[in-house]
Amino acid sequence: MLNPFDEYAIEAALQLKEKLNDGSTVTIVSMTPASGKEIVRKALAMGADDAVMLSDDAVAGSDLWGTAVALAATIKAQSPDLVITGTQSTDAISGDLPGMLAEKLGFPGLTYARTLEVADGRVRVQRETETGYMTISAALPAVVSVTKSANEPRYPSLKGIMGAKKKEIKQLAAADIGLTVAVGTGGAKAQLTDLATPPARSKGQVVQAPDPAEGAKAIVQFLKERKFL
Amino acid sequence: MQNVIAFIEHKHGTIRRSSLEAATQARTLADQLGGKAHAVVAGPGAAQAAETLKKYPLDQIHVSDEDRFIDGAVDAVESVAKAAGPSLVLVGNTMIGRDVGSRFAARADCGINADVVDFKTDGGEVSCVMPKLGGLVITTCKLTGSDYGVAAIRPNVFTAKETSGAAEIVQIASSGKASTVTVEDEIEEAAAELGVEEASVVVSGGRGMGGPEPFTTILKDLAEAFGGAVGASRAAVDAGWVSHGHQVGQTGKTISPQLYIAVGISGAIQHKVGMRTSETIIAINKDANAPIAEFADLLVAGDAFAIVPELTKLVRDAKAAHA
Repeated sequence: MLNPFDEYAIEAALQLKEKLNDGSTVTIVSMTPASGKEIVRKALAMGADDAVMLSDDAVAGSDLWGTAVALAATIKAQSPDLVITGTQSTDAISGDLPGMLAEKLGFPGLTYARTLEVADGRVRVQRETETGYMTISAALPAVVSVTKSANEPRYPSLKGIMGAKKKEIKQLAAADIGLTVAVGTGGAKAQLTDLATPPARSKGQVVQAPDPAEGAKAIVQFLKERKFL
Repeated sequence: MQNVIAFIEHKHGTIRRSSLEAATQARTLADQLGGKAHAVVAGPGAAQAAETLKKYPLDQIHVSDEDRFIDGAVDAVESVAKAAGPSLVLVGNTMIGRDVGSRFAARADCGINADVVDFKTDGGEVSCVMPKLGGLVITTCKLTGSDYGVAAIRPNVFTAKETSGAAEIVQIASSGKASTVTVEDEIEEAAAELGVEEASVVVSGGRGMGGPEPFTTILKDLAEAFGGAVGASRAAVDAGWVSHGHQVGQTGKTISPQLYIAVGISGAIQHKVGMRTSETIIAINKDANAPIAEFADLLVAGDAFAIVPELTKLVRDAKAAHA
């Protein structure tokens, strides 16, 4: 499955390319086992120009640090002007990768962007805050992570899906990106030592409240029992 | 790792609660590891924040006056970490906290654990406990292979506790560097309010609210009666009734308040994963057989538009009686 958060990043890249209309291209970069090829193909069907896949047992099982190191090396080899990411993945939900990529690439990092514009060699975004937004800008090349408020990702058209079959997906292995440190499961600096299932929440009490006042009273009674009131 | 460094997030000197939780937890962990508890505060208002921090059980409070947004904070944490030696860096799992923690981890080539709800120490080793896949699994990850490590703690899980601290305030020398990111302006669109991540009580509305109005009236009133925050399901956010910052669930925030009140929310899996670790869950729904009945501690089936205002009144009365 294509991470839904990444769809916003792809859409933002495609919209920027269409707006700039200056020959800029959109390259998809993905660190994924070979089985992830169809997911990359979907991103191409949305309209990206080409793709680079880093697939290697040596990077499998990487922690955040290892993922950042391997992805940054892969991205650097593409000499991008702008790197656009989602804010997080739906499985690990750390939200840490954009900042780590910026640091590893040595690029300015502009995270949580809900708008994105590029002009005169600079990128300017509205960064979401808890109470509004701040406008921040930086010189290119830069890393930007976009939020779900940034856009409405397009569905691949039939033409796009057909066209994607002809687009290039470059396959890279760890040796191709010149990794000098051990990543993957063995090199992880956050090492999984235990995996447990939490106790399931059981079904609680159900109160029918045709009379709203009785319903409210039932809640207050419950809150008192639990010492909330 | 021996020492613990809490990165303190603040706005013009007012510290976020998750950072006070980090400062308090820094002491607990430093005692277990046999090291010192440090706090790092940077940016405009840092000196004022440092005064507040004096009430917390820290050994040293490091203050950087540099106004370089994330860059300045990361540099400050880095300089303190270098001077302190092997240390664990604690940040709140918030937008700013994640930015600072992740960049420090990349710079220091160390491990980072996000959304931490518990710690285990063994000698100088630190392991972090984190719910993943929306709380469907609980993982434990050991920070290893580096003198440093980063943990982003889930707000509202650890306790913030003032003590008679005797921390020394230490000024961090200016780096003289320019910021790579220019802050052009900052716009407040909503009154500063407690976010759903940090509130101990969250009152959320869903599709059953039928429009934007309840979010600023009956739900807000109930949340305020508890001193809590208003949340929302994806359906309500996608309908444009309330902003994304309020969204609880898979594509929103994952929260663990003490009390979660779901109003007109069916309890689809994508919402459930964002709030299932709440301590107590109450649902108010017209359908007694909605999926949320399966995991709510109490479901009251009835007319939310009538029950919620009545409940608000009773909560206010009960609070007033105790005041």
